[in-house]
Amino acid sequence: MLVVLAFVMSLAAGGVAYFIPAAQIAFEAAGQVVHVTPSPSILFSPTPSESAQPTASPVTGAFTVLLLGSDDDSKFNPDHVLTQSMILVRVVPSTKEVTMLSIPRDLYVHLSTGGYGKIDGAYSYGGPGAAIATVEQDFGVHVDDYIWVGLLGLVKLIDAIGGIDVVTSNPVLDDYYPADIYSSWPYDYQRIAVLAGPQHLDGIHAMQYVRSRHGDLQSDFGRSRRQQQVLLAIRQKAKQMSPADLPAMAAAIGGELKTSIGLDKVAAMLPLAASFDNPDQIRQLILLPPYTHGGGPGGSINANWNLILPLVHTYFP
Amino acid sequence: MISRFVLALGLAVVVLVGSTTTFMYLGARHSKTLAPPEKPTAATPRAHAFTLPGTLYLAQSGAIYSLSAGRFHQLTPEAGWAMPSMDPNGNILAIKYGSYWSDLYVLNPYGVPLLQVTSNRARSGMVDPSLNHWVFYPRVSPDGKTLWLTYDGLKCDGCYDVSPAIYSLPYGGALRQARAWTDGGNYTGGDQQPLPLSSGAVVYTRYDFASNIDSNLDNKLVGMLWYTNRPNAVGRALTGPGEDCREPSLSPDGTEMAMICTYQKQVSYLTIASWDGSSLGPRRTIVSDQLVAQPIWAPDGSGIAYLAPGEAAGAFQLWFLPKAAYAPPPAPPPPSPTPGGPHNGPLPSPSPSPAPAPVKPIQMTTNAGFDATSPMAWSR
Repeated sequence: MLVVLAFVMSLAAGGVAYFIPAAQIAFEAAGQVVHVTPSPSILFSPTPSESAQPTASPVTGAFTVLLLGSDDDSKFNPDHVLTQSMILVRVVPSTKEVTMLSIPRDLYVHLSTGGYGKIDGAYSYGGPGAAIATVEQDFGVHVDDYIWVGLLGLVKLIDAIGGIDVVTSNPVLDDYYPADIYSSWPYDYQRIAVLAGPQHLDGIHAMQYVRSRHGDLQSDFGRSRRQQQVLLAIRQKAKQMSPADLPAMAAAIGGELKTSIGLDKVAAMLPLAASFDNPDQIRQLILLPPYTHGGGPGGSINANWNLILPLVHTYFP
Repeated sequence: MISRFVLALGLAVVVLVGSTTTFMYLGARHSKTLAPPEKPTAATPRAHAFTLPGTLYLAQSGAIYSLSAGRFHQLTPEAGWAMPSMDPNGNILAIKYGSYWSDLYVLNPYGVPLLQVTSNRARSGMVDPSLNHWVFYPRVSPDGKTLWLTYDGLKCDGCYDVSPAIYSLPYGGALRQARAWTDGGNYTGGDQQPLPLSSGAVVYTRYDFASNIDSNLDNKLVGMLWYTNRPNAVGRALTGPGEDCREPSLSPDGTEMAMICTYQKQVSYLTIASWDGSSLGPRRTIVSDQLVAQPIWAPDGSGIAYLAPGEAAGAFQLWFLPKAAYAPPPAPPPPSPTPGGPHNGPLPSPSPSPAPAPVKPIQMTTNAGFDATSPMAWSR
């Protein structure tokens, strides 16, 4: 009896030892406390916010996550990085529908921290709470959680899952792509060529595909479309992973990912993610003109809120 | 009565073995898709179950491999080599990637470089990036006289556009003799993958905004097959923006075109269409449940090889679709009643012949990881 007990406990000990590093990293990354600071709207004109009051998701079980991606290389203070990528994702488990809305990083908005500026600055001024509050007040949506990933984190995550398979819609050729990863001089640049068509991308080439914008007439909008493609490919690949892969994945992205989603919710979402199989039920939205137009202050993009808000309220009720 | 020492020692051994075994077992249970690809020459099982005709050339991890008589041979080291194609002399044209440029070489059939055709690395390095160039997708015309390629030689001063165009030059000549056949577009990704025709014209993949073709369509970048028969002429679209097609390959008898169409989604379909020398007939999808890439016809017309993951989200493997899958032999005529004299009774109804079993694609490799952006070449 004692031997059996010792054997069972040893099996459990081996399993615990295997998963402890992943659990430790997961505890550090997950369940981040967010302070969503309401905007000091008394001081600033709440133009877009008048009709944009955040409402909780009325559909049972539906939730909205704000995905944030940042350049976090040595050019930036680690605590004050811009969010080069902002994607609102709404998931409706009952209908297995997913809607992704890319928010242009240069969109000129009323920031929750005060004043006006490009929306990518919200995170740098006040962290995830400010980014969430800015999106909530300007777009009139309720954000349940956020996930932030750093530049190197995305590269490592994709490598940790063995790369992704995507259909790159067009060749991405850039003479001035930033050479700020694995580089001693973060202001350097490099030439890149990601060719078109179905292919397997490792982390660094997937990053090049989603980050390059100089060779795309649609600049940030084209980049947003590519980011959504890669997100879907990551989701597809993640479905192939087994629990035994968790420690390696956690070690790869440790420190490069933060989220307000608790571990219990993550565990509940994993089987849910695997059940979303119909690509026709994944809606991808980009705020191209006429939803936005150029000419804003400091190279920013102006929003046409009269068009954006009805769109957002339709898909993010 | 077991002594306490022995009992403690036994328990310690059990705990040690149990925990270590569990740890190692979990460590060995990684997903199959995380396993790095093996070299085709080492991959098991070998491609022995079905032997392809002739010699097929393809690229993996910067090396070019040949597949002949069921065996892979590594022709070049893993040093940035890709995009093999054949010249009429049996030599191989291939691209070699540098850090921020690529060059065209002619290799002998064993992979030994015979000639460097381009020198696209700028002496000033990245001081002026526009002085560096990319060359992709080399092809020699059917008459062996003209070299076709994709080249970013039309870059404008002071702008960021790097849209390559289709160029031609005398085969054996120098790049300075090259002339552009297309304009490469404007911030679109350019014109890619030329397919020279015996008529002297060329089919290629043009990337453009769908709204430039049809103002009612979304402003998405899509691929389309285009045709042009003289330099600097406005070409003609062979496929529509909604089809989002690329990677053309002409059948050995010149009557059918294979291509990859994605219909602007994250899927890809192996599509074939009849070809009359200047236009495509109705499309027919022959593979729809795989992420297919780079189709190429067998030189003896026995089928089409392509690259696609071996399992969901896995590395790209070599597949072969026998001709019977997309061009089934004609059904035998229905049996006629037994000849003979007058027959008063009811004629015997011919029993329907059993439907032929569907012909499925054959997976030729299992553990490889071929470069799906690199076209394959196939010689007799």
